[in-house]
Amino acid sequence: MSKRVLIVDDEEVIRKFLKIHLNKLGYEVTEAEDGQKAIDRIGERKFDLIICDVMMPNKNGWEVVKEVKSNPKLDQIPIILLTAKNDDVDMFKGYELGANYYMTKPFTKDQLLYGLKLMFETAS
Amino acid sequence: MFFAFLRIMKKPDKKRIILLLRWTAIIVTSYLILLGRGKVADPNLSHLLVLGYLISNLILTFFPSSWFSNPRFFYPLVIADTGVVLLGMYLSEKMVTDFYLVFFLIIIFASMSRSFKLLMFIGAATAIIYGFLLYSWGLLISEHGSSYALRIPFIFIMTAFYGYLVQTLTREKRKELSISEDKYRGLFENANEGIIILKDPSLQIVDVNREAEKTIQYTKEELLGREIFDLFGAEENEKAKSYLNEIVEKGEGRVDNLPLRKRDGVFFEADLSIKRIGLGEESFFQMIFRDITEKRKLEKKIIESKRNLEAIFDGIRDQLSIQSPDFKILRVNKAVIEKHSTTFTGLIGKKCYEAYYQRTSPCEGCPLSVTLDTRQPASAILKFPETERVQEIFSYPVSDGKGNLLYLIEYVKDVTEEQRLQEQLIQSEKLAGIGILASGVAHEINNPLSGIIGMAEIALEEEDPSKNKDYLTDILTCGQRIGEIVNGLRSYSRTAKREELSVIDPHEILETSLKMVQLGIKSAPVEVIKNFQPGEKIKANPGEIQQVFTNLIANAFQAMNGKKGSLILSSRSLKDVMEIKVSDSGVGIPFKYLNQIFDPFFTTKRTGEGTGLGLNIVYRIVTKHEGTIEVESTEGIGTTFTIKFPKWRNEP
Repeated sequence: MSKRVLIVDDEEVIRKFLKIHLNKLGYEVTEAEDGQKAIDRIGERKFDLIICDVMMPNKNGWEVVKEVKSNPKLDQIPIILLTAKNDDVDMFKGYELGANYYMTKPFTKDQLLYGLKLMFETAS
Repeated sequence: MFFAFLRIMKKPDKKRIILLLRWTAIIVTSYLILLGRGKVADPNLSHLLVLGYLISNLILTFFPSSWFSNPRFFYPLVIADTGVVLLGMYLSEKMVTDFYLVFFLIIIFASMSRSFKLLMFIGAATAIIYGFLLYSWGLLISEHGSSYALRIPFIFIMTAFYGYLVQTLTREKRKELSISEDKYRGLFENANEGIIILKDPSLQIVDVNREAEKTIQYTKEELLGREIFDLFGAEENEKAKSYLNEIVEKGEGRVDNLPLRKRDGVFFEADLSIKRIGLGEESFFQMIFRDITEKRKLEKKIIESKRNLEAIFDGIRDQLSIQSPDFKILRVNKAVIEKHSTTFTGLIGKKCYEAYYQRTSPCEGCPLSVTLDTRQPASAILKFPETERVQEIFSYPVSDGKGNLLYLIEYVKDVTEEQRLQEQLIQSEKLAGIGILASGVAHEINNPLSGIIGMAEIALEEEDPSKNKDYLTDILTCGQRIGEIVNGLRSYSRTAKREELSVIDPHEILETSLKMVQLGIKSAPVEVIKNFQPGEKIKANPGEIQQVFTNLIANAFQAMNGKKGSLILSSRSLKDVMEIKVSDSGVGIPFKYLNQIFDPFFTTKRTGEGTGLGLNIVYRIVTKHEGTIEVESTEGIGTTFTIKFPKWRNEP
């Protein structure tokens, strides 16, 4: 069974290229354009990975991480945080909240692949 | 009649006494003339005289009592009465020389006598002796015996009349004297200065007043007869002697600060003033002295406070000067002399603009000119090319109570350094602002950059060229977005010089600022409402105005803290000003902070999040543009900043 990935970003173009990459890798992709919608999707079905932007309207990435990681049913889902702020403080905050990996924009396909590999190897 | 007379003497009413004596005189005269001898020298005249005398006394009854105390009425009356009595006697035949003699004797007695009782005794004795003489001459039993007998009481009455007259007059005179003596005694005793009367030339004390007793602590009895020199200390004695001898020679003089000794041996300084006065035959010296210890203390205090004021005046390191309304320098403090490297005399009396800057007219923009016009304090920041200094000049009016301008106080503060620092501060705050924006901008750029990189990688791998158009379109869109952001940044960081003012439409800047702030705050679901009344322009420095708007809008977004809300930007054209409002529906500012928010370094943000300079810079920029800024805020409801700038008018 292919793995299901939830992509959360308010930027359409980012969701778009992530989806193309992930589809090519054989993952099933679900999109959400803000934090609130992401929480809604997570409630609807089970995901194997969440790739989530930080700066978003309604609910930001940190809040999503907090909710997921504080829910015992969901806390096993690995989360990669994407952020456009290349700031150490932001990165540590992400890890502190329970994010599994942290990627700063812009990133290349190789960096993405490395992140995915890291997530699924540790998860399995 | 005798009892009535006694009663009147007990309760003397001048009018009643005189009228009573006159009645007596009238009766006697009538009797002498009409009944005395049976024949008179001139019957008609005699009758007329008696009648006139009678009527005059009746008329006098109606005269007010006070008239009889008035010498101008009283003396002529007495003289007239005497005349009438004498005339009566004359008309009653000239054979009464003995009577005349006795009569004049009585008058002499009366005028010489000091005691009324004694006089009455003399009068009675004379009347008895005269009666005895008349009797011994056998006149009483002669044909006109009754007429002679009547002379006996008449003499007594006339004695009483003249005696009373003399007594009254001397008593009044004495009363007057004693009143005036009381008056002078009162003046002497109650004088605030010590007064000592000295004998001339021995300088022995003959009288002292109460103040003198009090001051030197001796009683009058102890002082009387002593020499004035006893009151000076041994050391001062010689000096005092020479002073006093000089004064004795000249007749009057003054000595200041001469120590006098009190009873307890303590000396006090006194100012003396001595003058020779004549009292009757004798001559005295009147020495007036005043204890000047208090005066000395006061003088010392005044001198001290004057020194203190001067020390403060000179101690102020800023330049202070007092000038007349025609710009003439009256006083300057040390700082002025040092700053202009001149001397005190080199400045006083000269006009300030001549003395300081060798100008021929007051400096342009001088606040003293403003104060001269308005009578109100004024201030201005002036740049002096002569010295390359920037000075803040305060001018204050000093008026008399009636509103006339007496002086101008000019306070000059060198703010060259301050101005430079302020410019630096504005610049650094601008840089700090850019720093804060940069992270927002980075986010904003990194997103489309991610899109470009991601889509480009996909396009490179794509084997179906028909799909590439879609990818390239995305890349192009992302590139354009980055371009817009960079353009916005450039307009923000445009570093306009302070002095560069241009006519601008604040709405344009408001739009740019909004765009800039929105770049950094992506997540806020904030509704922006613009309510502009376009058309008006202001003259301002565009870079600084943008700084103002960016700061206020950024604060507004921060106040809404990523929550839903609305930002209202509005503008209105008022009479002389253009009003711009920035309102948010954010958390609001606690009331206790409202009057502090424009203070430098005041911040409620956590360390590292805000410099506390933003609103201070806003305030300074707005006031520099002669504008005003006000804030209204309610916690939980929102905050509104209202800025008013003077409108620009296209005038030559």
